[in-house]
Formats: sequence, structure tokens, C-alpha cells
Amino acid sequence: MLRTIGLKLVRLVPVLIIVSLATSLLIELVPGDPILAIIGMEGEPGDYERIEKELGLDENVVSRYFDWLGSIFQGDFGEQITRPGVKVADRLKQTFPVTIQISLMGMAMALLIAVPLGSWAAYRAGTRFDRVSSGAAFGIISIPSFLAGLLLVFMFVFHASVPRYAVLILGLAWSLWLLWSAVLNRHDQARGMLLRAAAAIVVAGLTVWLANKWPSFPRQGFVRWTSDEGRLENFRSAFLPAVTVALTEIAVFMRLLRGDMQATLQEDFILSARAKGMPPVRILARDALRPSSFSLITLAGVAFGRLIGGTVIVESIFRLPGMGSLIVNDGVNTGDFPVVQGGVLILATFYVVLNGAIDISYSYLDPRLRRGR
Amino acid sequence: MAADTGLALDSGYVAGELVDPLTHAQRLVRLAVGLIGGVAAIVIGLMVLTDANAGYRVVLTVGGLVLLFMALDSAGKLVCGSRFETGLWLSVFWVAIVGLSAAFADFLPISEAKDASATIFDGTPTLKRPDLLSAHPLGTDRQALDVLGGIIYGARVSLQVSVLAVAIGILVGGTIGVVAGFFRGKLDTGVGVFVDSLLAFPPLILLLALASVMDRSPRNMAIALAVLGIPTYIRLARVNTMVFAEREFVLASQAMGSTRRRIIFKELVPNVALPIFSYAFIIIAVLIVAEASLSFLGLGIQRPDPTWGNMIAAGQDDFDRHPHLVFAPGIAMFLTVFALNRVGEKARELWDPRQANL
Repeated sequence: MLRTIGLKLVRLVPVLIIVSLATSLLIELVPGDPILAIIGMEGEPGDYERIEKELGLDENVVSRYFDWLGSIFQGDFGEQITRPGVKVADRLKQTFPVTIQISLMGMAMALLIAVPLGSWAAYRAGTRFDRVSSGAAFGIISIPSFLAGLLLVFMFVFHASVPRYAVLILGLAWSLWLLWSAVLNRHDQARGMLLRAAAAIVVAGLTVWLANKWPSFPRQGFVRWTSDEGRLENFRSAFLPAVTVALTEIAVFMRLLRGDMQATLQEDFILSARAKGMPPVRILARDALRPSSFSLITLAGVAFGRLIGGTVIVESIFRLPGMGSLIVNDGVNTGDFPVVQGGVLILATFYVVLNGAIDISYSYLDPRLRRGR
Repeated sequence: MAADTGLALDSGYVAGELVDPLTHAQRLVRLAVGLIGGVAAIVIGLMVLTDANAGYRVVLTVGGLVLLFMALDSAGKLVCGSRFETGLWLSVFWVAIVGLSAAFADFLPISEAKDASATIFDGTPTLKRPDLLSAHPLGTDRQALDVLGGIIYGARVSLQVSVLAVAIGILVGGTIGVVAGFFRGKLDTGVGVFVDSLLAFPPLILLLALASVMDRSPRNMAIALAVLGIPTYIRLARVNTMVFAEREFVLASQAMGSTRRRIIFKELVPNVALPIFSYAFIIIAVLIVAEASLSFLGLGIQRPDPTWGNMIAAGQDDFDRHPHLVFAPGIAMFLTVFALNRVGEKARELWDPRQANL
């Protein structure tokens, strides 16, 4: 086991070296003189020397790489070229938590929605529910995230009454359907009837409450986790961005879990649980979920890494002060290389380490993989 | 009681078979209802109720499209049997339309979509709402440029860039993958580290890094996107090569004294090519989204060349009042990506042996 982990960790090292090397040498790819490209048309005398020194371009490639790496190990990412005196490390420290928060919230939402839906679709494979949800998942995967974000803004910010009434109508319809099935009472059991009637009342109550208290979501103006306005404001301003990043992942997770769960449901131990008379929800949650979730967990980890990189789009739509907008606005758009390099290095390192950790945890989770290599 | 039996438990159950095939008469009824109702709803929604609330018109039109789909589905199943995949054929049709109109954009009767200086004096209204029967079926933007024309020229850019990127990816990635999978050993390890490092960058971040140093022309865009696709192709080619290299026909060829070059080109490459090509549609779809994301951030191809991404980005500022600026290119893009995914999934089902074994 330790050997396996060790081998996997060792494999990360060359990747990290290449990643840092590529990031540091990025500037060599600029056609022509990178310093002139940065200064542009309106430079002051002395700018050339200052930028050359800041980027270390007066030294040769090898020593530049090692100097850069050395200072990064000391937490020094250099200064912004466009705003002398502002430390890149500080900017990274300010923006990284925002990106992490959006990704974490998106991830949590995706799992909370995808796991029940995927399990139920597998349990009822081939029925209308399964076909509709799988079809919807396929459609959602094809929506680019910036389009999904704008669609959400259109619905929840500009036309907030539309989703509000939709929730009201759908919720009341659901509640009526529950009542109807309680009255119809196919199974002829008093308990089932009561449960359905109670569920109908709860659904109706929740719907009315939600439609009444419908929150307004801001298009922009992110409230930080640590600000004085409180956590609720923070969640409200982070809600739509998180839904945007969650949408695609919901669809991806659902499809994956549905496939794995369907295979698990063919196993003998599920049959024996059914023979004992366990209710379906219990079978799905207690018996079938764990053995079906290995590839989901792997994918969730990979998706988390992807989300961290992918929040760039969401941050641009909702104007969040995250790492993506830092890289785009302060870095790429103005040719501020220390910002680009620092941001890219942090994100890539995070991604590599995360994937390595998943790789290792995978063999813990699935006993079948523990032995052997 | 079917709902409570846990359908997946019945060992004889095969996905799709459970769906009760409709009778001939039911299909005919659906065909008739769908066709008449669908056409009526679309005509009313798009052309008659031109003064009504846009929300009602959209709902009516979408409902009409659903009815039309039902009619097409019934017609297809009546003619070709109940296994006819309507969605797939519609997807093929859409990809063909987009491809052809992008290829022949210069010959299509579309209004000015690129040159803002040409529309200043000819009286074209700015920010015109979509009206299918006018000269600007999908409306005009702030500079009085035709949105439909922009979508078609944008399709041209998107397809050119992503197809070129996939071609480069297949050529470079496929070659490296086949070589690594065939020779194995140290070379393979080295390639593995290279692939891992490329995959170590989150895709969009890699594109951003490249965009920060590259001049943003379509050709450079294609190269940057190819870099994104190369690791996938290396992995695909490598795995498939390793699978095929174990097969008897390769052994037979070796026993007959073939050179290594002959084995690679005559035995392996033709076999590896098919599963690799079967991924092309899906990767094109991914790259279209990647290119559009970059344009959306303002780091891709710039105006005056319209792309789906930069059209949406330009429209997003006040799209509560002019939603067509965002949603017209957005829907075109969604349909294209959806259709490519659908076709790509079918292609993989047909041509990827690992997929078929499952």
C-alpha cells in the first residue's frame, strides 16, 4: 500500500517540474520582444529596464527559472508590472478563496442533486422518468457554461417572476397529484394513504413559502464570506454562479451514476435485500450506493479540479473577484506576466495534487484495487 | 405494479425494449396531430402574433416544435420500423446544414454581417427584433449587422478552427500514441509524463496561458486548441495500439517477417484509425465550446470577424432588453454542440471496439 502511494507521489514530481518550467518559459513564446509588447505604445523612459529586471529577462534562461522557482518557494510571486508595488502573492491570496468557494458550492449542489436523480433513474431504468432525465442530462451537457450562466441571469435576475410562478404551479401540481394518489389509494393501506396526504400538505406548504419568500439574486456585486453583511448575503451572491458551474456536473454525474447503479442493481445481494422486503429507497441508499459510487468519486475529484479552472467564465459573467478574472483582466489582457504565471502555476499545481490525491484515495475506497501493483 | 418491481432487477430486461411500441394507427394519429398542430402553432407563434408578448410566442413556437418532432418521429418509425432514431437523424441533418451554410456563406443571400461601416448609411435599423419574414430573420445588432449572417460566418470560423485543430491533434497525437504504444519501454514512460503534464493544466487555463502569448488569428487559435486535444489523442491511440498489437494478425504478420514499419502502417494504423476518428465529432464539439469560451472572454478571434463567442459577449451587456443578441447565436451553438455530441456518441458506439464490447 505504502509502496503504491509512494510510486504515485513520485510520478507527480516530473509533472510538477514540467508544469513550472512551462509556466516560467511561457514568456519565451511571445513573438518578438516581449518587453516591447508589454510596454506597448506609451512607455516612459526607464520602463524597459524596470520590466526587464522584474521579469528577470536580463539573465539567461536557466538561472531565470531557478531564481523564479526559488522565490516562489519563499512565497514571493513578484510584483505586478502594470501596478508597480502590488504584490502578486497578495492578489492571489485575495482571489483564490472566492474561486474555491464557488467550486465547492457548485460541487456540493451537483452531488446533492445528481445522486438521488441518478439512483432513481437507474432503479426505474427504461421508464419515462429515466428517459426524460437521461435526455435532459444529455441536453444539459451540450450547453456551454457561459450560455447557461446568461440563461440563469435572464431567468432569475431579469425575469424573476417566471421561475417563481413556475415553482408555484409545479409545486401545487405535485401536491395535487400526491393527494389524488392518496385518494385513489391503489395499495389499500391506511399508512400509505396517510403518508401521501401528509406529503401533499408539506409540498404545498413548502411551495407557497418558497414562492412567497422568493429571493432576488444579484447579477453582480459579490459579498465575501468574511464580510460584515453576513453569511446569508454571501450565499445569495454566490448562488447563481454556483448553479452555473453545477449544471454541467449534475448531468455528467447523473449519467455516470445511473450506469454504475444499474450494473449494481443486477447483483445478487440486491435481490436478497429485495427478498427481505426492504423498501426501494433503503436499498438504493444503504446497499447499492456505496458499490456504485467509486467512479463517481473519481470523477467528482477530477471535476472539482476542472471547476477551479472553469470558474473563469462564471467569474466573468457575474463579475466575481476570483482567480479567473484576475488572470484574464489583470494578466492576459494587459500582458502582466507575473500575474499569469503565478495564477496558472497555482491552479495547475492544485489540479495535479488533487488528481494525485484522488488516485491514491481510489485504492482505499475500492478494496478490489488494494492488492496487486 | 410495474413501478414497484425495480425494473432493472428483471434479468431479461434490455434497455429500451420495455417501451411499449405504439400501434400503426396510433402512429398515424400522432403524425397527423403533430404535423397539423405543430405547423399551426409555429405559424401563429412566429408570423401571426407579431404584436403579442414575446414570452407567449416563444412558448407557442417551442410547443409547435415539440409537436413537429412527434410527427417526424412517428413518420420515421412508420417508414423505417420502430428502431428509427429520429433525434440522431435530425442531428445529422443539423450538422449538415451548419456545415453547408458555413461552406457556402459567401453565396447565401444574407445581409451585411461583418463590416459596420457598410451599414451606417444604407438605412438598416439597429437592434431590430427577429422577424422571420424580413431581410433580417434573426434581427440586427447594435451596429445594424445581421445576426443570422453573423451566426453563419461564426459557424464558419468555429468549424474551420475546430476541424483544423482536430486534424492537427489526430496527426500529431495519433502518431505519438501509436509509436509509444508500439515500442513501449522508456519512450512510453516519457510520453506518459508529457501527456500528464499537458493534462495538468485545467483546459481553459492552458488556453488562457496560450492566449496571453499568441497573436489571436484563426490559425493560432487552431494550434492552441490542438494542444488541448493532443493528450486525449495520444492516450486513445496508445491504448488502441497496445490492444491491437497483441492480436493474432499482428503476430502472423511478424512471423511472416514483416518489418516494424510495415506492421505499424499496414496492420496497426488502419485499425487504430477508426476508433480515433470516431471520437472526432465529440472533440470537435468540445473545441467549439472552448473556442467560444475564449472569444466570450474577449481573448479569441476579434471583431469584425463574428464568432458565436464574441457575438454573445457583445450582446450580454443589456440582453434583458435585446435577448435575441445572446440567444440567437446561443441557440445555434447549443444545437450544433448537441448534434455533434449525439452523432459522436453513435459513431463511438459503431466504431470503437472497446465501447462495443460493453
